[in-house]
Amino acid sequence: MSLKLEGIWFKYPGSERWALRNVSTEFREGEVAVITGPNGSGKTTLLKVSALLYRPLRGSVRAWGRDFWRLGSDGKIDLRRKVIYVHEKPILLKGSTLYNLAYGLLLRGYSRSEAFKAADKLIEKLGIAHLRDKPISMLSAGEAQLISILRAMAVNPRLLLLDEPVAHLDLRKRRLMVSMMRELAASGVGCVIATHDYSLAESVADRVMVLEDGSLVADDKPEAILESLREQKA
Amino acid sequence: MIDELFEITIRSLAISGTATLLAGSWSIPSAYLISRSSRLSKILMPIVEAIVGLPTVLVGLLMYMLLCGRGPLGILNLLYTPYAITVGQALLITPLLISTSFRVLAHAQESYGELALTLGATERQAMQLVLVQSLPGLMASIVMSFSRALGELGVALMIGGNIRGYTRVITTAIALEVSRGEFELALMLGGVLVILLVAVSMSLRTLRRLQIA
Repeated sequence: MSLKLEGIWFKYPGSERWALRNVSTEFREGEVAVITGPNGSGKTTLLKVSALLYRPLRGSVRAWGRDFWRLGSDGKIDLRRKVIYVHEKPILLKGSTLYNLAYGLLLRGYSRSEAFKAADKLIEKLGIAHLRDKPISMLSAGEAQLISILRAMAVNPRLLLLDEPVAHLDLRKRRLMVSMMRELAASGVGCVIATHDYSLAESVADRVMVLEDGSLVADDKPEAILESLREQKA
Repeated sequence: MIDELFEITIRSLAISGTATLLAGSWSIPSAYLISRSSRLSKILMPIVEAIVGLPTVLVGLLMYMLLCGRGPLGILNLLYTPYAITVGQALLITPLLISTSFRVLAHAQESYGELALTLGATERQAMQLVLVQSLPGLMASIVMSFSRALGELGVALMIGGNIRGYTRVITTAIALEVSRGEFELALMLGGVLVILLVAVSMSLRTLRRLQIA
């Protein structure tokens, strides 16, 4: 099962320019798809439409067989809980790292102790116990980015949408992130990553999509696309 | 003199404090609703921002016309009472409170509102998150509006009437003492007003620091 976009057209309120033009694609569970393209090409917009946050002006978004924008509020919440979007600039809640990791579970009705216990397990698994009680204001940019990604993973999504996920990470955290993405895909979670970073695409992608001025101009295996993109860049 | 100074100060704080709470009760929910709709904010916010700096005497005049014996609300007998000043100050600071709260809430909607939705929050949970995360910013808006209410003269003078022991507040007392040539009391009242405004400003800075943290 998957998320299917059909003939998506989107523009921001007050803007004359189409941010997405007739984009059709599908994101599947267990697959890592990378979206690349120049600044302003529509990568973030495509992620937010796929994350069921932005309503397209034309076209349909079918999530696990259901037309999302025709559903009632309970149906929408049910599907949004399967598809989690992680912002490029980390948005963390005031409080500790542990609270941030537990927040998504608290929204799902977990008790405080259950949610904190699950967050603690994640912290132990990744060996970041030193961040456990650190106030959010004391985290570095890389740590904040890592926590915002882990917060999304804590709620066991079926599809994880990551906007420039390694932009602020050092080499060690970047390696950790790449291995986590591979692990997630192996466990059946779909990952969609928007990035300019071709080496990240090369190391994790099953498929690379190229956006230009809101249109999807290429969608193929990484080896077929990355080589020509590098040549163009050179 | 000290007793009167104390009494005037307490009355000013009570009237402006109540006016701020009253204005907050309708301004913050309004700002939240406006921040949820880009169409509504495009239409309403330029109007609200334009009337933030409305002269206090104009608000006082409009309130006087509403509350005087022949006015539409004359039957309520509120003119020259502390209640009239409270309502007048609440209306005066409403545009400021909506405008400043809107900025805080619109920013929070964009970030925390979207975060809550993507993490699977219900509408109610998303609203709760936006309001909780905006709390220091909203408190700063409230404090700023209280400061504007405390320092205004036009409304208190025109619909309060500056009645000794009843509707006299710091600003109307200063105006009266200056007109009488009693500069000593006027300066003391001015000093109290400045101390109160500085205290308000310092609490505002502390709240901003909390928001950054």
